[in-house]
Amino acid sequence: MATEKADVVIVGVGAAGGILAAELGKAGMKVIGLERGPRLQTVDFEPQDELRFFERMDLRPDPKRQPVTWRPNAKARAHPLGQLNYGNQAGGGTVHYGALSWRMHEDDFRVRSHTIERYGAAAIPQDSSLADWPVSYADLEPFYDQAEYEIGVSGKAGNLQGRKIAGGNVLEAPRRRDYPMPALMVDQSGMLFAAASQKLGHHPFSSPHAIASIPYKGRPGCTYCGFCQSFGCHVAAKGSILVTKLPEADATGNFKLITGAMCSRVLSDNSGKATGVAYWGPDGSDNTIEADIVILSTFIYDNTRLLLLSKTEKFPTGLANSSGEVGKGLMAHIMGNVFAGFDDRHINSYMAPSAQKHSIDDFNADNFDHKDLKFIRGAQISMGTANLQGGPIGFSTINPPPGMKNWGAEYRDFVATYFTRHGAMVAQTENLPYPDQTIDLDPNVRDAWGLPAPRLTYDWRRPAEQARIEFMLAKMEEIGHAMGATKVWRGFLSPGIPGAHHEGGTRMGSDPKTSVVNRYGQSWDVPNLFVIGSSTFPTMGAGFNPTLTIQALAFMSADAIVSRYRKSPGPLI
Amino acid sequence: MTKHDEARRTFLKGAAASAGAVAGAAFLPEARAQGNPEQKMHGPIAHAEQGSISGGAGQHAFFNDNDAMTIAALTERIMPDAPGKPGARAAGVPNYIDLALAGAYKDQQDFYRRGLAQLDAHCHATYKRSFAALTAAQQDEVVAALATGKADGFAWPTAQAFFSTVRTHTMEGMFADPVYGGNRDFAGWQLAGFPGAQMQYTEADLKSSKAFTRLPITGLEAQAKSQRRI
Repeated sequence: MATEKADVVIVGVGAAGGILAAELGKAGMKVIGLERGPRLQTVDFEPQDELRFFERMDLRPDPKRQPVTWRPNAKARAHPLGQLNYGNQAGGGTVHYGALSWRMHEDDFRVRSHTIERYGAAAIPQDSSLADWPVSYADLEPFYDQAEYEIGVSGKAGNLQGRKIAGGNVLEAPRRRDYPMPALMVDQSGMLFAAASQKLGHHPFSSPHAIASIPYKGRPGCTYCGFCQSFGCHVAAKGSILVTKLPEADATGNFKLITGAMCSRVLSDNSGKATGVAYWGPDGSDNTIEADIVILSTFIYDNTRLLLLSKTEKFPTGLANSSGEVGKGLMAHIMGNVFAGFDDRHINSYMAPSAQKHSIDDFNADNFDHKDLKFIRGAQISMGTANLQGGPIGFSTINPPPGMKNWGAEYRDFVATYFTRHGAMVAQTENLPYPDQTIDLDPNVRDAWGLPAPRLTYDWRRPAEQARIEFMLAKMEEIGHAMGATKVWRGFLSPGIPGAHHEGGTRMGSDPKTSVVNRYGQSWDVPNLFVIGSSTFPTMGAGFNPTLTIQALAFMSADAIVSRYRKSPGPLI
Repeated sequence: MTKHDEARRTFLKGAAASAGAVAGAAFLPEARAQGNPEQKMHGPIAHAEQGSISGGAGQHAFFNDNDAMTIAALTERIMPDAPGKPGARAAGVPNYIDLALAGAYKDQQDFYRRGLAQLDAHCHATYKRSFAALTAAQQDEVVAALATGKADGFAWPTAQAFFSTVRTHTMEGMFADPVYGGNRDFAGWQLAGFPGAQMQYTEADLKSSKAFTRLPITGLEAQAKSQRRI
């Protein structure tokens, strides 16, 4: 049993935790980071192996060791999910992610007020807990800028201080300056998508990626090898936390990373303060870290689970849970796919960064009029690869066109013809928050350490959600035909199960009665406890991948801790 | 992670130790280049008897003789052979599954045992023969019945679950790197037109609407060699 002391303990050193480790360390604070998985290096990613990294998900949690269960509703029995899409090592999900790096729109942060202003309160589904964020785009803009420049995002500005620039995303929120690197090169699929969507009156652009398009901060530019989403980058062109912020944290001399550490509990005293955390080492040892500040920045399941597991006499429903909101408002992007097959050309979409290569923002958020529609909000629509990854195993996971079996001679010929002649569009569709979409502790299933598994109760198939995705599938079919594809067909939708980018569980807000943390991720109940990551998102914001917003929030919280909290510990609002 | 690595190590060790020259054939380009025209003409049964992997029946790291024949026949219907288009057997898919079940997919051994026993019972009840002894048309009827869940006599795994898993593993065996025991001579990648791991694609490559043939197919073995040279 070891006990160590630090100024700050950070549980989970991924997209948010890595930034906090570097920024707090630079400010002279002694930081210990706990990481459940290992700390890998770029050399570990050299084997470009689709079976290992995509199919067998070598960089993700083992669902047998770390089960997460799911049931569609509170009456059903929960079963462990077969695969888990978050990260399982230092750097977290940024190691394997597709590196999409979006800023949300101005209206996304005041989605409830904005929706009521434009469409009336009746437009919001009655059972949804749609809420404004306690932070505005203007508040977050400097930190978006910081994240883009420190992590290194390639893209083309479409709205420079209000000036619209063709070729960039003209629907983006105003930015103070352009991206630090030019957009990644466009491939055949992006060119076709751009021409077709332009013809239809949309505004296509090369999606912003945290992938170096040119050498940046000592890292080389992308080789366009295509082993991208699901894989670690073998040349470190992808701006994962592993190659961006962790080296910075190391260089401060104030940061210590403990790997193989399973945090079991946040410790607190009777005064209502967090005193540190308990964790098990890789050898099974019981250990404690005493710290003035505790930061939870694990994936949403464990941020929620740790609060629920850390209940005491003083906090009988879980730590930081006087609102009763811990675990509520689970959301996930609903992934709609439309595939396009071409007879007159090769597409070779296994080349180049594989996820969401080229995009339109025209049907995202409130960028289009919903007056006569049966839903609010939208989706970010992109051209990319089957299952966000470009290899043939990935292609074999998508359904062939209707009427064709997924085996036999006809299917073999389909693979032989269309693997190199297909493009896959995805509508990453916003899912509204509902209080009965929850994360709690599974009473029946335990993980390898004996802790109750996180249990998801979730089914996206509500009328408004179904209407939204149906609209998006039709839009993508239009684009597919406009591209001149010979075959255009839909992918299967998930049977209720949460899709990509799970968010919520420790929502932020302006009112301690209806939220778990404030804009800085600071617990209303326990002011020296911070929860930072997409678990704090009160809404999904848009159909955008969440990572850049997580990183901007982490920079904002780090700034508030260093410049204000440290001088005067207590509530920041 | 650790478990994955252990599984992977176990698998690789198993492949090297138990398979001997047989697995070596997948690792060594010389063996591949020389080939053996005589072997390629034999069917799976002949090879099972000879203990050779070339027919795709596997070196029995996990499967017994009967199960090896059934899996070879079943995967072949999922990805059938045609002139110029190697099917599952020619690509070594049965060998891939055999090695995987002895290693990385050890926890699915019982799933396969029971699935194969149920398949055998179903075929005997319906056709009075084992799956491997049926005609290709009859085998396709059985596979269709599995895929749609209409095959009688399945409890656990269900017919659909069994089909779905064997199908997934067939695709893995077709398209995973040859070091895993399938995709022999890059048969699967040649079928699909996938060049494997290339160091770099140029702007001209990205914009081209032609098939990519500028460089040879590259697998893990060649990647490791190029690194050793450095």
